[in-house]
Amino acid sequence: MTEPRIKFENVCKRYGPLTVLDGLNMEVAAGELVTIIGPSGSGKTTVLRVLMTLETIEEGLITIDGEPFNKMRSREGGLVPASTAHLRRIRARIGMVFQNFNLFPHMTALGNCIEAPIHSLGLSKAEAVGRAEELLDMVGLSDKRDHYPSQLSGGQQQRVAIARALAMRPEILLFDEPTSALDPEMVDEVLQVIRQLATEHSYTMLLVTHQMGFAREVSGRVCFFDGGKFLEEGPPREFFASPRHERTRQFLNKVLAAH
Amino acid sequence: MNWDWQFTFEVVLPRLLPVVPVTIQATVLSFLLAVVLGLFLMLLRISRFKLIAVPAGELIELIRGTPLLVQLFFLFFLLPEVGITLPPLTTGILGIGIYNAALCAEVYRAGIQAVPAGQWEAAKALNLGAYRTWRDIIIPQSLPPIVPALGNYLIGIFKETPLLSFLAVGELMHASKLIGSEYYRFTEAVTLAGLFFLVMSLVAAVLVRMVETRVSRSILR
Repeated sequence: MTEPRIKFENVCKRYGPLTVLDGLNMEVAAGELVTIIGPSGSGKTTVLRVLMTLETIEEGLITIDGEPFNKMRSREGGLVPASTAHLRRIRARIGMVFQNFNLFPHMTALGNCIEAPIHSLGLSKAEAVGRAEELLDMVGLSDKRDHYPSQLSGGQQQRVAIARALAMRPEILLFDEPTSALDPEMVDEVLQVIRQLATEHSYTMLLVTHQMGFAREVSGRVCFFDGGKFLEEGPPREFFASPRHERTRQFLNKVLAAH
Repeated sequence: MNWDWQFTFEVVLPRLLPVVPVTIQATVLSFLLAVVLGLFLMLLRISRFKLIAVPAGELIELIRGTPLLVQLFFLFFLLPEVGITLPPLTTGILGIGIYNAALCAEVYRAGIQAVPAGQWEAAKALNLGAYRTWRDIIIPQSLPPIVPALGNYLIGIFKETPLLSFLAVGELMHASKLIGSEYYRFTEAVTLAGLFFLVMSLVAAVLVRMVETRVSRSILR
């Protein structure tokens, strides 16, 4: 059996007395799209943030294709804390899209998409521009390449942010509530892009969202996160039709009633 | 009080004009020292290592918390005690430079902390190295609040240079004091020195405003 692309083993994350990840276990296969849902403030986002190495973890092991991530193998074969170089090598395989876009406000849409490919991947400017133009075209924004983020709508900014993440050619894509900061009429244009990524490409994707309809439609698997771990998971149809856990049922009732 | 135009034009102006460059030199060099040294102080101050960050913070507080004139005297009279004898102008530039470096360090820190955490995270997620993150992402965004503040410090430093007269540096204030005590007439010399400062401050303020608009236009569109 092949190693899962992403594997969390007994991962713990604490902020002082607050335990955000409490012995979390998860496996994601290559090419799978997993949606993480759960109550606000429960720490779903932290799952993505530790994977992007924006947060450190206190305990446990995260591996990518079997390779330890937060730790690395020492010459003797034991596990030691990962070096910066090791982290950068693994980070290069992961791209992240943030709730608040986090575009660089002093760069154009194109500038945002070529900065890291040039300075992190070492592409030539011409190459990076070519790749960025393709991606901006894919997200439907080729006419906005010279616009600054402040001149774009929220939906357009988030689509630029997706293009920016894709420009690094990651294998794994993390979406942290990509539509939560958007006006309702802009949600669809962003979901449309994510849908396209899910159906036409082979990225491994982790999506934290409150868009239940979208989760049901595109995910291969839905995980319900609460109290620092996954309480329940399953294929979307089963998951939404007959949740087994009481907490899941309460959550779904509340969220679906609100719609 | 009577104003003597002949005295003004024949004695005061010919003696004040040649020392204007000393004032300007002291201002510019002190400012450059403050801007560069301030950057180092700020980097020490935000260091991850408490052993560096805490003493740097204390040093900044010490410098900000004592009068510039006291510091100037301190350097002027105490450096020779430890075997370092510098010309008065150099001592003065050093004193004003260090004092303002502490102020600049705080300006830099405020400017950098005003950059949202999400920008650091985006840079990290895009795997940019520390150098690129600072150079391309953080510094350009922290400049708009920093530049106007630095401009104000430039003008502030300029107005602090008369303190150098206490170290017998031959700048504007010192020259006008000398004229005053030589002729027992202070009115013209002190007034003219004040006018010089006013005119140069106003010119500097206009220049600073121009740089400000340029920076904010080129960075935040």
